[in-house]
Amino acid sequence: MRVGVVGVGCSKFGVRDVTLQEIAFEAVIEALKDANLSQEEIDLSVVGCVGTRSYELMPTVVINEYCGFSGKGPLGVEAACATGSAAVYTAYSSIKSGISDISIVIGVEKMTEVDTAVSAAIGGRAGNYLWEHHFYGTTFPAYYAMHATAHMARFGTTEKQMALVAVKAHRNAAKNPKAHFQKEITVEEVLSSKVIAYPLKLYDCSPISDGASAAVLASEKAVKDYGLDAVWFESIGFSSDTSNMTMRENFFSLRATRIAAEMAYKGAKISDPLRSFDFATVHDCFTIAEIIAYEDLGFCKKGKGGEFIEKGESDFGGKIPVNTFGGLKARGHPLAATGVAMVYEIVKQLREEAGKLQVDLKHYRALTHNIGGTGHFSWVFIFGR
Amino acid sequence: MIVESRELKLKNRIPVTRIAKYWEGLKEGKVFKTVCKCGMSYYPPKADCVCGNQTEWVEIVGEGIVESFTVVHSIPACFEWGGVYRIVIAKFEDVRVMGWSEEDVKIGERVSILTKKDASGIWKVWFEKR
Ligand SMILES: [Zn+2]
Repeated sequence: MRVGVVGVGCSKFGVRDVTLQEIAFEAVIEALKDANLSQEEIDLSVVGCVGTRSYELMPTVVINEYCGFSGKGPLGVEAACATGSAAVYTAYSSIKSGISDISIVIGVEKMTEVDTAVSAAIGGRAGNYLWEHHFYGTTFPAYYAMHATAHMARFGTTEKQMALVAVKAHRNAAKNPKAHFQKEITVEEVLSSKVIAYPLKLYDCSPISDGASAAVLASEKAVKDYGLDAVWFESIGFSSDTSNMTMRENFFSLRATRIAAEMAYKGAKISDPLRSFDFATVHDCFTIAEIIAYEDLGFCKKGKGGEFIEKGESDFGGKIPVNTFGGLKARGHPLAATGVAMVYEIVKQLREEAGKLQVDLKHYRALTHNIGGTGHFSWVFIFGR
Repeated sequence: MIVESRELKLKNRIPVTRIAKYWEGLKEGKVFKTVCKCGMSYYPPKADCVCGNQTEWVEIVGEGIVESFTVVHSIPACFEWGGVYRIVIAKFEDVRVMGWSEEDVKIGERVSILTKKDASGIWKVWFEKR
């Protein structure tokens, strides 16, 4: 029995003057209308929210009530920045196992209720608090910066190559009305922006955003019974790695992504990703993360990620357009919303509803790649239509 | 319109009794890892090996090789007592260690491990060029 995505919704990402539950509802109502269903037909709600920066400390039931799903679950899911994908998997599993026919996934985050230094102190705990942040003041940019310096030393990757990822992201986001950033930037602007954690500068980093995304999932039977329009799950891969960065095998690749990709590719019988997908959404919380993702997902050889962006291979018209809606980098990265927003992008593109950002479809197949923390969690979903 | 939440002060009492030797070591200039008869080594140290045995303490000595570093300019709330700082990860035989360095160390360079109080009064690991 296949499982499909039959409705998607996404709020405007950015600094938003609304509560967690209000922004969640923006995505939920859009997803329900998109599926042409109401709360009544939903068997199970799954709420993904990291919730460490918003005023509700146990937000699952608050969000669930506001969106009209009281009694339908809810299951609360947390997997750092990969919360959205873990929530999608939870809803998928429920349908796949026959427990529910139609379920909704809500990924939501309010990140702007605390100031930047407090946000940095919370994000810096996205590893192993006692051994890293407590002693050494790790921040989330610092974790990825340590991957950037390792990648630069090992492969000669440059700050300019990283800047090109940001330039592409902003160019795409400028055509996406729901993106946090609405304006294009230049390589020079990225390179001259203030240093956050060397070598990462302000424009190498995803912004601190509020946002929500929702997706309605249904069994093949429900798709037929209700006459729904589905984008199908073809394969899923996942893995994880140590909480302590010092326990990793190296700092220029994320093992969890390599394993998740291998599992997903095997499940969908994919040997050459460049000849199998029309586009991809990858986890670009920082520019270096996208370069490492090209390599770990097999879009290019290890160490060649910098060249891949330089040659425009991940842009429209390249070998595989990546992050067509602006990515985490410029669309925004409201933690738990991100994984579900990736599904939103996949569904819009595969239905050819992406407007100015529409990619040319040949394979009618695409992937999402969502990391939690610094490769602490990794998820790869393959969708087809 | 904005309403301010009531203030919540969050400070945990972290039980480190089973690995207290690590903190005692820091004050004596020593950095310890733990090892198990089964062959596993742990840094950060832990009392339990995944095999079920109790681990033993071994001091980390000698020369480390720098594998990664960054300099933090955008400082998190609880580190606002100091200026920018350099975080370094260096490999010492079978373990990698995180620490701070006052020197401009580069990847591939050799470093020694030492302990020192930071300006907030916490003993921790530092690296110096050899
Ligand atoms: Zn053992």
